[in-house]
Amino acid sequence: MLVSLNWLKEYVDIKIPPFDFGEALTMSGTKVETLTVVSENVVNIFTGKITKIEPHPNADKLVVCTVDMGTDERVIVTAAKNVFEGAIVPVAVDGAVIANGTKIGTNDFRGLLSYGMFCSIEELGMNSDLFAKEIMEGILILPENTPLGMDARELLWLNDVIIDVELTANRSDCQSIIGIARESAATLDLPMADYKTYTAIENTDEIADYLSVKIENSACPRYVAKMLKVKKIEPSPLWMQVKLINSGVRPINNIVDVTNYVMLELGQPLHAFDYHSLQSKEIVVNTTTDKKIITLDNKERDIDETMLMITNGKAPVAIAGVMGGENSEITDNTTLIVLESACFNKGSVRLTAKHLGLRTEASSRFEKGVDPELAGIAALRATQLFLEIGACEVIEGLIDVYPKVETLKKVTLDINWFNAFVGITLTIDEISNMLSRLFFKVAKISEAVLEVEVPSYRGDIELKEDLAEEVARIFGYDNIPGTIMGGETMIGGKTPVQKFEDRLKNLLVGQGYYETLTTSFTSEKRLHGLNTELEDNLIALINPLGEENSIMRNTLIGHQLEVISLNYNRKNPFGRFFELSNTYHKNPNSGELPLEEMMLVISAYGSDDYFELKGMVELLLDQAGIKYPEFIAGGSEMLHPGRKAEIFVEGTKLGEIGEIHPLVVKNYELPKRCYVCQISFKALYGCASIDNKFVDLPKFPASNRDLAILLKQDIPAASIETIIRKNSGDILESIELFDVYTGAQIPEGYKSLAYALNFRHHQRTLNDNDINPVIDQILSELKITFDAQLRE
Amino acid sequence: MELQLKELRDRCLADLNAVDELKTLDNVRIKYLGKKGELTIALKGMGKLSNEERPIIGKLANEIREEIENNISAQKQALERKEIEAQIKEESIDVSLPGKKHQAGNLHPLTTTVNELKEIFLGMGFSIAEGPEIEWAKYNFDYLNVPQEHSARDLQDTFYCEDDIVLRTQTSPVQVRVMQKQKPPLRIISPGRVYRFDEIDATHSPVFHQMEGLVIDKGITMSDLKGTLDLFAKKLFGEQTKTKFRPHQFYFTEPSAEMDVTCFKCGGVGCKVCSNTGWIEVLGCGMVHPNVLRFCSIDPDEYSGFAFGMGLDRITMIKYGINDLRLLFENDLRFLTQFK
Ligand SMILES: [Zn+2]
Repeated sequence: MLVSLNWLKEYVDIKIPPFDFGEALTMSGTKVETLTVVSENVVNIFTGKITKIEPHPNADKLVVCTVDMGTDERVIVTAAKNVFEGAIVPVAVDGAVIANGTKIGTNDFRGLLSYGMFCSIEELGMNSDLFAKEIMEGILILPENTPLGMDARELLWLNDVIIDVELTANRSDCQSIIGIARESAATLDLPMADYKTYTAIENTDEIADYLSVKIENSACPRYVAKMLKVKKIEPSPLWMQVKLINSGVRPINNIVDVTNYVMLELGQPLHAFDYHSLQSKEIVVNTTTDKKIITLDNKERDIDETMLMITNGKAPVAIAGVMGGENSEITDNTTLIVLESACFNKGSVRLTAKHLGLRTEASSRFEKGVDPELAGIAALRATQLFLEIGACEVIEGLIDVYPKVETLKKVTLDINWFNAFVGITLTIDEISNMLSRLFFKVAKISEAVLEVEVPSYRGDIELKEDLAEEVARIFGYDNIPGTIMGGETMIGGKTPVQKFEDRLKNLLVGQGYYETLTTSFTSEKRLHGLNTELEDNLIALINPLGEENSIMRNTLIGHQLEVISLNYNRKNPFGRFFELSNTYHKNPNSGELPLEEMMLVISAYGSDDYFELKGMVELLLDQAGIKYPEFIAGGSEMLHPGRKAEIFVEGTKLGEIGEIHPLVVKNYELPKRCYVCQISFKALYGCASIDNKFVDLPKFPASNRDLAILLKQDIPAASIETIIRKNSGDILESIELFDVYTGAQIPEGYKSLAYALNFRHHQRTLNDNDINPVIDQILSELKITFDAQLRE
Repeated sequence: MELQLKELRDRCLADLNAVDELKTLDNVRIKYLGKKGELTIALKGMGKLSNEERPIIGKLANEIREEIENNISAQKQALERKEIEAQIKEESIDVSLPGKKHQAGNLHPLTTTVNELKEIFLGMGFSIAEGPEIEWAKYNFDYLNVPQEHSARDLQDTFYCEDDIVLRTQTSPVQVRVMQKQKPPLRIISPGRVYRFDEIDATHSPVFHQMEGLVIDKGITMSDLKGTLDLFAKKLFGEQTKTKFRPHQFYFTEPSAEMDVTCFKCGGVGCKVCSNTGWIEVLGCGMVHPNVLRFCSIDPDEYSGFAFGMGLDRITMIKYGINDLRLLFENDLRFLTQFK
């Protein structure tokens, strides 16, 4: 919100420099984002009246103006088209600087000297967003009654500082000059000035002859209407326009400007209807079944029965709290106006504005909440201004429909509780004083307890904790000391699972893998690319950001492939990645949250092959204390049918590993060979045994035996190892496959697997009598199961 | 005999001198000192000597044997040294050639940041709590004191899976779950993934990360909040870091604050990182709202506490000077390899 410091100073005598003031406001809770001088550079621009315009003897496009500067007269040569005799304009005199920093001097224009320059809005540095192009292009023409010789900096508030404040959602009462003034007064401990309001004693209820108001919907807690006769629709006075401009609002005419002025000043959105256009003697506030309304901005809006409308009893004339209708707009012919000062519920306005996609100054204020008490105050303040600027005459009487007046809240504050809660020691008087500065009415009900009456506009104050914040922020958060927590000592620390996660990550990093960070979303299309049927336990979002983010991912593999694809396409020649992250699945039990399963995914492309990745996984399993994982051919459709395996530990499936299916390679624009392994973290942790214990070093020597086994090509090596292990009992210390051979001396369709077996007993030296029977048993089972035999 | 021995000795020493290889050195030893060696044979002839001569010649023979052995041993040492020198000469390498490639990966910079934050709080006796990312709306909003009609609940702000199930917009629901399950005193942090309905750009992402913290105990004060978070800031950004607490508003806390830290880059004088303010906004915090404590069956008259929350992606970006949030989620190796 933009706040004019000059305007603010009319209420609070702020003497400290703007920057310091901004800091002080920020530290008491009104965050100042920026402070901007309207026109930092401008000097020596004064008002002058053009008394005579003559053609330039040597140039068709130039005219020569005689200008009365109040104290002297000077000649200005100009090319401007919109100047006329009698016009009062800003004149940059010799030595002046305009907004963009250009210095103005006396210049020769085709043989005639010009002692300065007339200025446009842009040259003055005023907010140019607010003006129409034709006004922007011409010289700024000032009102007829503008005094001559006045410094434009003062007159047009070019010296004003615009404060951009960011308000928190609970402080709707600060959406006004008055609101910020209250905060400023409290922060700086200064008094606050009052404003003039309409207080005339009215003897009749003339308004009743013209109008009645009915509220038929609880979304409107209060509706105040005042009627005024318009004397003349004309521009509002310059001082009012300047305040509007410096608040970022465009001046329109004296009627509309007053409604905007009061909105900016007090925070109450107002609306003025043209009485005759209402074509009715009543105003009804309710929802309607109408489908369309044309709003003030000349746009047709689709409305529905959820939206609160102001109607004339037959048709809508305004969208309540959002924007007026074109059908009752103020025009140059308006002679009678109805000034609406009403309160609408924030939820109702928010939804209406959202559905219409129409956010206005009014709606954004109502959305945050406007105090119903303000409606009456604002109607009278606006009446005062209409009279003050000579725009209107009053029609006596005021309509005020206010079904349920709220009583003021009272909150008690125990000083001892406050001091203990914040960790400071303030006296009851100090606390009472700070609350009074914030316009709370404070009464001491005992030695240590205050009863605090909350102003109607402070809807955010309900509890003692709310008051604690009020006192603490006025006292200054910075003045609260920092202490180290007392109480019980807490051990804290990581759980075994959290430590295990760290170990996994560190191991992978140590082996050259990079951790990735990918989002949780996927889509049907992205999943289809994985060559798999869509699972029926996918979680779809009701309101996704586009189709490609419409589903919560049920696998990490897709995202790893996207990472590989990106790197491959960016010419990174090889890569190794991993991620430990959640996948999401429907819960088969209704009434429970979806399932989140943490998965570990590892992937590689470029230089590695299947066995490289498998080696990594084996190391990982080994480090998790898993002795005999099984890799059994098989796995999902996204993997190469001849190069994929499922990983089991004692019957529990951990996950799968393999090369990416050539079809998926195409879909995801991948390098020809990519490898991926995905493991359930929960299953892995369940199988892990990382209870390290020292075992005595062996005292007796080991015996080594080499076995070369001849068997059919399609028998997996792992099953041979299983048989060897099963028949060896405790004495088998290690087993290593050191050669896989096919070719000469081996029959077609067969292979030779050569194993080095290492036997050892911990209490004695083994001899042939121990080992030979084991070997025989192994060979016999291999023969029976696989028709495999010892190769001589 | 005496002459014969001396002549044998001279011949042997000459032979030894001529040896230039270790493997032929033994030949000399065998030739003179072996079982059939010249000295051995010569000594066998001693039986023929007279009783007077025998001890004299015997002594001489032993002296000669010793002398030969000493010479063999010296020659052996000399040859070994020579051989080693030759080996060394032959085996010299260009030590400036590159080493063999070993590969180490990296953690993602976000993880590194999270680890750093975790360590700081673990050191203060905190534990790490985790909770679901897909969460009941009531845990994400109601129990956190968010008003029923607040716009944060809109479909334009929050992702919904079901009417009453959302993708959590903050990690605060974890705090509620912990408070409902465990009795105070509590000191937890809950880092994790959160979601908001934002299109991805340089500073926004629909998926991002937060870490929240919670302390509940008897007699916890706002000064404790300030002291704890000030210490945290000093540990994260350096001993010289100063903090500033500005009043703010959160539904979960009352009173509430935002904490700024002096810019670690410029030390507070103003630079690009801090938009010339000298300060960087780091986290939101406050005293846990009594309504929230009541939702979790904790008596606010007996217990008090504070909570804080910070954006991890933002802190990561600030810490490493990363200028576009999208880089964090893109996983280009040229990015990932930068964070050792
Ligand atoms: Zn800086």
